[in-house]
Amino acid sequence: MAFYEENPGGITKADMVLAIPTFDEVETIDFTTVQAATGLAEYFGGIESVIVNCDNHSTDGTKEGFFATPTEMPKIYISTGPEQRGKGNNLRNLFEKVRELEAGIVVVLEADIRNVAPHWIRNLGEPIRKGSGYVCPLYVRHKYEATLTSSLVYPLMRCLYGRRVRQPNVGDFGFRGDLVDVFLKSPVWTDSVQHFGVDIWMTTIALNARLPICQSLIGSPKIHRKKDPYAHLPVLFPQVISTIFDMMTVYADFWHRVKWSKPTLLFGTDSHEAETPVPAEVNVGRLHERFLEGFDKYNGMWQNVYDQTVCPKLQEIRGLDLQHFSFPTQTWAKILFDMAKAYSRAGESQRAVLLDSLLPLYLGKVLSFVKKTERMSIQQAEDYVENECTTFEETKPYLLKVWE
Amino acid sequence: MPKILVVDDEEHIRLLYSEELKEAGYEVITAESGYKLLERIEEEKPALIVLDIKMVDYNGLDLLQDIRNRFYDLPVILSTAYDTFKEDMKSIAADFYVVKSFDLTELKKKIAMAIETSLPS
Repeated sequence: MAFYEENPGGITKADMVLAIPTFDEVETIDFTTVQAATGLAEYFGGIESVIVNCDNHSTDGTKEGFFATPTEMPKIYISTGPEQRGKGNNLRNLFEKVRELEAGIVVVLEADIRNVAPHWIRNLGEPIRKGSGYVCPLYVRHKYEATLTSSLVYPLMRCLYGRRVRQPNVGDFGFRGDLVDVFLKSPVWTDSVQHFGVDIWMTTIALNARLPICQSLIGSPKIHRKKDPYAHLPVLFPQVISTIFDMMTVYADFWHRVKWSKPTLLFGTDSHEAETPVPAEVNVGRLHERFLEGFDKYNGMWQNVYDQTVCPKLQEIRGLDLQHFSFPTQTWAKILFDMAKAYSRAGESQRAVLLDSLLPLYLGKVLSFVKKTERMSIQQAEDYVENECTTFEETKPYLLKVWE
Repeated sequence: MPKILVVDDEEHIRLLYSEELKEAGYEVITAESGYKLLERIEEEKPALIVLDIKMVDYNGLDLLQDIRNRFYDLPVILSTAYDTFKEDMKSIAADFYVVKSFDLTELKKKIAMAIETSLPS
């Protein structure tokens, strides 16, 4: 149960919940709430809906801003306690509320998106009404945006669970209301899941629930108020990766039986023309430095964790100058598979160091991606990512071998 | 013997694919357009569809959406003369694509992969 709740309309039942998780979002909560309300009125007018602000005990007036925004439909505010931080905790309160309201359709929208528009609500909610179980948006992205997803999360999740969900950890979703029971029963509720890991945790559970998955074209980039893709990397990286690894143990029986991958349903192909994304800047020199620094710090650990073919390959890569830098995808896949195995067998304190040691290698892989795709169009770079995914799938027998 | 449905409005392509895929051990049925395609799929229950993108009266990418919406996991391989179709996001609902050629090695490889793809149900 949420630590705190305000439900001025006394709402006890709803067909659809539009949720906005927040933490100190007073600057944008009114805009997001208006877009949400407009989307609900325009596309879901015939059903009972409610907007739920699931807050993280904001002290900047987010709650007051939320209630002060006029909307046609009722609003509910729920919050964690003052000591309980993290988006995951906001969403857990939401899941309980959805169960209580017996809502059939749930759409989650992050509060700090500057360009959120009413049709986003349609695109995330309508596929659920048509029978999908879980909807991930497909934002327009520049080739160097969200490199954690392109280089690691997407290929790894795809080869594990066999569904081609291109942006599985974005933070905005649509899902069937009864999926909250599965979320609430999950044995994994770590500190990472309570924070940035929650998005990939939800997608993993949905993939394993064997529900029809849909990707919905949004037609726009997702523009956050706070903009620096690498600012949170040291925090985001271990939380996302540890969540993927933790879930691998839970769902080992499932992913052992997955071979190759399949597409998902697609929604929104008839909607707005796609915008062109703003180019994302990448500092290749800094990526190279961070990759090389990893050898000074973690070379000993890498020798213990990785397959005997990996470390000599890393030394080869280390010897390449920036112009000719290349990090083979098969080596990268083996690194992730070996690391997943090592993580699953490690104690709590050792796990943090293992994840830290993976970060420089990830940055090396991003550098390689940037070098390989620097002359490519966004579409060509996308084809490159698809080929990387195929390499992961082809290398999966190695994972099956080392996991045993 | 897995049954493959080849949908293409060019007769010589239907013949080529039929002969070669039969030789490779598949049962092959064909359709020359998208007319009543979903009903045909319902009746014939193919294991896989090879779908032309540009047909005179039908857009293969639109047919792909209809197929995917009704038969979530039915493998579909897009067959096309040009790869510019990838600019249309609808194409990501396909399992694979091949560029049309008289050498069907790539098509056969993709068919084998699509058929052996397994996900726990």
